[in-house]
Amino acid sequence: LTLRAADVHNSNEYPTVLALKRMGELLEQRSAGRIKLKVFNKGALGTEKETIDQLKIGALELTRVHISPMNAICPQTQVPTMPFLFRSVAQMRRALDGPAGEEILRACEPQGFIGLAFYDSGARSIYARKPIKTPADAKGLKIRVPQSDLWVAVAAALGANATPMPVGEVYTGLKTGLVDAAENNLPSFEGFKHFEAVKFYSRTEHSMAPELLLMSKKVYDGLPPADQQLIRAAAKESVAFQRLRWDEQEAKSLALVKAGGAQIVDVDKSAFQALMPPVYARFMNTPELQRLVKTLQETP
Amino acid sequence: MNVPAFTRLCAALSKLALVSAVVCLIAVLLCVQLQVLGRYVFNDTPTWTEGLAMLLVLYVTAFGVAVGVRDAGHIGLESLLVLLPERWRLRLELLVHALVAGFGALMAQSGWVWTQLKWSEPKPMLGVPEGLDYLPLLIAGVLIVLFSLEHMRALWRGEAVRPSWY
Amino acid sequence: MELWVLGLSFALLLLLGVPVAFAIGLSSVATMLAADLPLALVFQKMVGGMQVFSFLAIPFFVFAGELMLYGGIADRIVRFANSLIGHVRGGLGMSNVLGCTLFGGVAGSPLADVSAMGSVMIPLMKKEGYHADYAVNVTTHAALVGALMPTSHNLIIFVLAASGIASVSVFGLILAALIPALLLTLANLAAAYGVAVRRGYPTHDAFPGWAAVGRAFVGALPGLLVVVIILAGILSGVFTATESAATAVFWALGVTVFVYRSLSWQNFLKACAKACKTTGVVLLLIGISSAFGYFMALYEVPQRTGELMQSVSQSPWVIFLMVNLLLFVLGTFLDMAATILICTPIFLPICQQYGMGPLQFGILMLINCALGLNTPPVGSTQFVGCAIGGISVGQVMRSIWPFYGALLATLALVTFVPAISLWLPALMK
Ligand code: NA
Ligand code: NA
Repeated sequence: LTLRAADVHNSNEYPTVLALKRMGELLEQRSAGRIKLKVFNKGALGTEKETIDQLKIGALELTRVHISPMNAICPQTQVPTMPFLFRSVAQMRRALDGPAGEEILRACEPQGFIGLAFYDSGARSIYARKPIKTPADAKGLKIRVPQSDLWVAVAAALGANATPMPVGEVYTGLKTGLVDAAENNLPSFEGFKHFEAVKFYSRTEHSMAPELLLMSKKVYDGLPPADQQLIRAAAKESVAFQRLRWDEQEAKSLALVKAGGAQIVDVDKSAFQALMPPVYARFMNTPELQRLVKTLQETP
Repeated sequence: MNVPAFTRLCAALSKLALVSAVVCLIAVLLCVQLQVLGRYVFNDTPTWTEGLAMLLVLYVTAFGVAVGVRDAGHIGLESLLVLLPERWRLRLELLVHALVAGFGALMAQSGWVWTQLKWSEPKPMLGVPEGLDYLPLLIAGVLIVLFSLEHMRALWRGEAVRPSWY
Repeated sequence: MELWVLGLSFALLLLLGVPVAFAIGLSSVATMLAADLPLALVFQKMVGGMQVFSFLAIPFFVFAGELMLYGGIADRIVRFANSLIGHVRGGLGMSNVLGCTLFGGVAGSPLADVSAMGSVMIPLMKKEGYHADYAVNVTTHAALVGALMPTSHNLIIFVLAASGIASVSVFGLILAALIPALLLTLANLAAAYGVAVRRGYPTHDAFPGWAAVGRAFVGALPGLLVVVIILAGILSGVFTATESAATAVFWALGVTVFVYRSLSWQNFLKACAKACKTTGVVLLLIGISSAFGYFMALYEVPQRTGELMQSVSQSPWVIFLMVNLLLFVLGTFLDMAATILICTPIFLPICQQYGMGPLQFGILMLINCALGLNTPPVGSTQFVGCAIGGISVGQVMRSIWPFYGALLATLALVTFVPAISLWLPALMK
């Protein structure tokens, strides 16, 4: 049995790619070579959205995607994307390892997906030509956001001019001043070379939306229960490994952007957070979603 | 001249498709220009323009592809057919049209499958069903089948298919 | 096994005369069946392959090119080029090269270029006593420069074909193509001059004087400005590459309707209709190629090809030479867009391994494809040129060698001197 896993990252050393390979090693060991896992990164099997659909029709076994493209398919996955939901990366990890995290993963099942695990994607912060210390600094800023309703709403809540744009155009956009700012985690700020264009990375840490490891339910249901358990366990175990690699990657990226002249700015997050209630009111609009928000927030 | 009903139908559909494609193309153009306008003039970039432009361009393509089949606009190797005797050339040309029609049929069928599968999913920034992305496959597929059949019939009778609009 | 199904069925369908896009689609279907994968996947890849925002630049550049073709911009450019160098030996040939290059700059498509410039220049040259083969070769080769100009939709196609392997910015590629385009123009001028001297073509008119050149330039300027708008617009951050392409359409429309007043309603509709048909043809090819690309990734074709080539030689020079040869051979059979879409995922990784970046590779690819446009059995610009000149492909091949020489010299320079393509983009960083 060979499982194929898709990932869009170009680097073979990207933490999620390494984690998938790690999961493959675990599977091969524990099944005595019977189950293999082959990783196709660099988007070889398609975009995140496409691989999700491939899972749905059973044309692909596994995919590692950012949680955003699942938002339209399964509303519960919106919860961990919400702005300023978690207090810190450490707390985010504890919360997602808890029962609420498990509930969100399970919510994907009726749609045809087995949610195997959350991987880390760090915290996203705003970067621009100037420090963004208070919401006033963000007012009127032309900020690039991913093409999603939630991100546009967050930017609008900050009073910024949200400009949805594919990530490939952001470097030129920042360089030429087409957009004033963008927001992403440190490895992306470094990896896409955005730090060459704008120098101030203000730690707003407004979102800690994780990545998702999904399996096709169609494929999963066709496997013997013992193999199902093996796959679930290997996926869960790869999480700790991925987090370690992620922390290393972040430290490396931080050093690189600093060496490249970028400045890391600390901000008062509470002033930003105070502007978020309308976003919560619009997107967390059922008792179930509100309960999940509460459980995640109250995780110590 | 007595033009058969099937040819008249195909010609009308082809013209309708091409006119629709032109309308969609101009709409795509306006979407992108509106985006620039919004960013500079109103300092409020419309967030739906990009999604709509990307959706509409699929329709431009679908209509364009289908009309391309009818007006023989798709590029292929034809030089080898010239070397064959007349009788074989006709058979091969019929086969080529049949293969194109077959592909069109599969396109229509898959388009229908995906349209249904993605109908309940809202498209980000637009709110319309994600399935609308796949509807063009169904439209193009059906038109390709029709136009290929028209070509086969014309070949058989030694007639030519003329573009119905520009 | 699945790979054999893919390759053999594709070759067979092409030989049968199935249009390239449908041949790719049908061979993908056959492979899906052989691999026991759902057929619906082919069509998902197809739709997915078309949904990249930068793709919108393709219909826009195509549309702008069509408007310019029907809108009388070519006449002004011919007048300007003629006033500038019409008086030297083989002058009409030289001004044809210059005119095609300039029109290529605004239309960005070799085919539109040959159609527009060729229909003015080829009959004119024949009337002045030039041989038809010379007139056709000058036009079709000068037109190839259009593929490297900022309005070229083939540049966008390459950026998208490379997107899974390396991130290439549209603007970076536009800049990278400028100096090679200039070199190719100079090489074409040299070839046109060389043949003119050898055949003893006469000199005609005297130089009309700088004032006349200036007047002709002012006449051509509104059309030519579109290139400046695209470059300056992106460089200053006013718009993205895609938005600049949309602006090019409005500019072309404005110039032809309000400045030149030469675009009739009929021709406008014709341009719209042709743009839609071409968009359909090109985007279908792009979409369906992503199904092809899916199999190539699944069965690791790039890695295997790379290993195969490495087993022949480890020297970058030999590898680059082999890549050029393979691209040339494929380019003779396939259309430009198809060659770019099929070959980039296979050959870019290996070239990268030997130190050739995506920008340089892109230019190399485009020049190779351009060469293919003027090579039988399938050479679309050559076909159009021959049709206008009223000669056969066999006849045109007689004086083609100096022009091939010009292309090959440019290709060799781009392949082995990275600075030619990389200097400008590096400057703009
Ligand atoms: Na063009
Ligand atoms: Na060729």
